Amino acid sequence: MKGLLLKDFYMAAKYCRTYILIGIVFIAVSFAGTSGENMFFVFYPCLLCGMIPVNLLAYDERSRWLEYSGTLPYTKAQIVSGKYLVGIIVQGAMLIAVGIAQAARMNLAGSFQFGDFALFMATIFAMATITSSITLPFMFRWGVEKGRIAYYCMIGFVCAAGYLGSVFFTGGTQLAVSRGVLMALLCLAGAGVYAISWFASIAMYQKREVA
Amino acid sequence: MNALEIKNLTKSFPDFSLDHLSLTLPSGCVMGLIGENGAGKSTTIRLILGMLHQDAGTITILGRDNHENIRLTKEEVGVVLDEVGLPECLNTRQVGKVMAGTFRNWNQQEYDRILEKFNLPQGKPFKTFSRGMKMKLGIAVAMSHGAKLLLLDEPTGGLDPVVRDEVVEMFSDFTRDENHSILISSHIVSDLEKLCDYIAFLHKGKLLLCEEKDQLLAEYGMLHCAAHQLEAIDPDAVIYRKSSPYGVQAIVKRQAVPDGLPLSPISIEELFVFMVKEER
Repeated sequence: MKGLLLKDFYMAAKYCRTYILIGIVFIAVSFAGTSGENMFFVFYPCLLCGMIPVNLLAYDERSRWLEYSGTLPYTKAQIVSGKYLVGIIVQGAMLIAVGIAQAARMNLAGSFQFGDFALFMATIFAMATITSSITLPFMFRWGVEKGRIAYYCMIGFVCAAGYLGSVFFTGGTQLAVSRGVLMALLCLAGAGVYAISWFASIAMYQKREVA
Repeated sequence: MNALEIKNLTKSFPDFSLDHLSLTLPSGCVMGLIGENGAGKSTTIRLILGMLHQDAGTITILGRDNHENIRLTKEEVGVVLDEVGLPECLNTRQVGKVMAGTFRNWNQQEYDRILEKFNLPQGKPFKTFSRGMKMKLGIAVAMSHGAKLLLLDEPTGGLDPVVRDEVVEMFSDFTRDENHSILISSHIVSDLEKLCDYIAFLHKGKLLLCEEKDQLLAEYGMLHCAAHQLEAIDPDAVIYRKSSPYGVQAIVKRQAVPDGLPLSPISIEELFVFMVKEER
C-alpha cells in the first residue's frame, strides 16, 4: 500500500502540480474582494483537487500500470483504495488551505462568524467530494474513456433532474432546518457519497479484467 | 514440489478460447511457452496471476491455489509482461522506492546491481527509455524481491543479441537454486532452446505438446529421402512432410526410421513451425 501511495505522489508531483499552483493563485485572488462575488475562486481549487485521483487513474491506464499492478502483491481493493486515500489527502490539504484563507478573508472584512465559516467549509467539503465520487466507480469499471462518457451522462441526468425539479417546485421551498443541521447534513452527504463511491469502485474493479 | 500446476484451464473470449490447458512446471526447472501470436501465451500468464478470471480449471502456484491469498503468492513471483507498465514519469531510483514499499523482501542492493549490469541511468524518467531499456528495468524489478518463480512474457523482445544473451544467462543463473523456476514465453525460440528444460507448444489456445526439451530433440528428427522410402514408415510417426521434385522432407519419430536413412537433428523452432503447419 505504501508503494502505491508513493507512486501516486510522485505522479501527482509531476503531472498535477499545475493544479496546486492554480489553487494557490485562486486563493490569493479570492482576497481581492471581501464579499460573496469571489466565492468561485474559493470553491474552484477544491473541485480541481477532486479531479487529481481521476487524472492519476487516467495516467495509470495510459502507462499500463493498471495491468502491471495486477502482477504486484496488491489486492484490487488496495489499488482502488490508494486512489481514494490520495483524494482524501490532497482534498484535505486544499480544504485546510482554503479554510485558513477564508477565515483570514472574513477576519479582514470584520465579518467572521464561526457558524457562517463552518457552514461554508461543510459546503465546499460536500462539493469537493462529489466530482471524484461520481467519476471514479465508472472509470474503475469501464476504463477512463468509457468512464468519462458515463460521467457526462450522469451530469446530464443530474442537470435534467434539477431542471425538472425547478419546474415542479416553482414556488420555492424554504428548508426549515437550522444551520447546524444543514452543516451536519452537508458533511454526512459528502462523506457518505465518498464512502459509497469507494465501496462501489472496489466492487466494480473486482469484476473488471485488466489485461 | 511443483512450482506451477495448471489443470484443465479454460477461458473463453468472443474470438478466442484457451481450451483445457494442463501444464506442470517442476521446481528448479524452466519451461518455455512457444506459440504464434494469439496462441494464448499471454492469456495463460494473466490467468495464472488472476488478472483474468478463469472459466474452469485449477491453478496451483508454489503449492497454493491461485485464488487463496494471491497477494502472498505474488510476493514470491517475479513478473515481466510484454509491455512493462511502470509509470512514465518515474526514474529508476523512484521505481526502487515504490517497489521497496510494495514487496516485503525487496533487495535494494540486488536492484542496484542489476541496474548497473544493464547500464540503466538512475535519474532519467521511464518514458525516455527505449523498449529494450524498459524491458531491462522490468527484469531488474522482477529479480530483486526474492522471487521463487519468474513468469516472463516475451522478456527478451526488443533486446539486442548481446543483452539478450546476458539476460538469458541471468535467468539461467536464477534457476541454479533448485527452488527457483521460470515459465517463459517468447517468439525467439533460440533463447528458449538455450534456457529451457521443458517446452510447451501452444496453438490456437490448445496445447500441442509439453515435453522435456532433450526428450523432444532425442525423439524427433528431420528425414530427407525419396517418397517411396517415407511410405515404408509408420504414418503415425510422421509429424510433417513436404514434397519437392528432389524428394521428401519429413519430421519423424526417430524410432520409426529404419537404419540407413539420412536422419538429421531438428531444432525446436523447426519442430514447432512444422507442427503448426501440420495442424493447419
